Amino acid sequence: MPATPIYIVCSPRPQVGKTLLARLLSEFLLLKNGEALAFDIAIREPSLIDYVPDVTETAEIDDTYGKIQLMDRVIIDDGVAKVIDLGYYSFDEFFKMSEEIGFLKEAARRNVAPVVLFCADTDRLSLRAYDGLQHQIPRSHLITVENEHVLRDDLPDWIKQGRTLRIPALPLFLKTYIDRLSFSFTGYLRREKDTSTELHQWIRHNYYTLRELEHGLILQRS
Amino acid sequence: MAKPAVVVVGADKGGVGKTTVSRTLLDYFSANNVPTRAFDTEHPRGTLKRFHPEITEIVDMNSTPDQMKIFDTLSAVAPSVTVIDVRAGLMSPTLAALRDIGFLDAARSGQITFAVFHILGSSIASLDEIAETASYMVGAKYFLVKNFINNTSFFEWDQSTYASYFNRIKDATELTIPKLNEMAFEQVEVASVPFLKFVANKGPHDEAANYSFVLRGYVRHWLANVWSEYDRIKLTDIVGSAAKAAAPRQAGEK
Repeated sequence: MPATPIYIVCSPRPQVGKTLLARLLSEFLLLKNGEALAFDIAIREPSLIDYVPDVTETAEIDDTYGKIQLMDRVIIDDGVAKVIDLGYYSFDEFFKMSEEIGFLKEAARRNVAPVVLFCADTDRLSLRAYDGLQHQIPRSHLITVENEHVLRDDLPDWIKQGRTLRIPALPLFLKTYIDRLSFSFTGYLRREKDTSTELHQWIRHNYYTLRELEHGLILQRS
Repeated sequence: MAKPAVVVVGADKGGVGKTTVSRTLLDYFSANNVPTRAFDTEHPRGTLKRFHPEITEIVDMNSTPDQMKIFDTLSAVAPSVTVIDVRAGLMSPTLAALRDIGFLDAARSGQITFAVFHILGSSIASLDEIAETASYMVGAKYFLVKNFINNTSFFEWDQSTYASYFNRIKDATELTIPKLNEMAFEQVEVASVPFLKFVANKGPHDEAANYSFVLRGYVRHWLANVWSEYDRIKLTDIVGSAAKAAAPRQAGEK
């Protein structure tokens, strides 16, 4: 039986596209599997729960109770893929806790597959955070997200080290369009009959990349 | 047959975590396949017995029959290691009683292995306890345990003062018990099971339990840190050769 994936979208920096990726992932998983469960730990930033409220719950990891509420749910092998949109201010706390409680070992025991999607930036804080993750997360489970909106082809060398997932840039007017709270990627694909539009292709490209990512994980485990 | 070993865990001050340390010791010996029995001197209640009922007996250290129950059976019973959780205020009287019955002489002559885990509180009174205890420690392995489990900060201590007390006892070794997440500690209390069973998600009778994965993780991590301290002092070697054939640990591994 395939492992239940947990996608942890994270960065120690704000405004690097975490929620955009979490939205894409949540909608992609919903479209593909018919179900998904997302946790929004970024409620001080543009919030996932505002975009995909039907499958998103808010969570906090400031105290032990909040950690229990989150982690005891995501560690369950119930076949429902999970997405965690991790706010930049919770980055250190989350991974410190993960290491302390042996999250990865327990996940492996329970047929749950955490995947860390690290939204890269060019600053030193991101480099340091990525370094820390490399010590904790196996290479196959750590994916660097190369968001062209943020990096603008200014790729530091460390980003090229491991596996990457690229999110192409959109023109500003389309970026503003998809940032509207009422916007749904899958809704747009269904509604827009002209498949040659830039946005149509952008969404399909991203969904295809996410499907490839998922297949890669399944192959790895088998 | 291995030489009997007696491990006394105590402090004259209450609330410094004696029973918690005793529990970690029993878990440690259990994980290392060292047959152990325990005596809980918190007569008549017995907190240690609540967590380790199969191997723990409640005794009254002031009663001669109970003293006989512990010390006259050291060589006769199968477990070679005896852990005694000494209730608050009884540390010095217990050591005095051990001296009076000739137990300390037996330890000095090498017939018995005797180790004392002296749990220190944050107050300066704990330093006076060290001075008081020192006179009994010839022939014993003496461990001064700084227990941070309940967030003790040892704020009253001046390091040079502490060192002067510490140096009065030859071969005293310092141990540190790190802090455990409060909620995790509480949940183990509520579950009334050994730390090991909590980590393994088991109830008192080995039935499957449903403890939080997060809290179990915190306990596992903490217990591994405590055990690394016991490994550092080579505790299984101290308590005898029986422990040397230790099997792999089941939980709390580092």
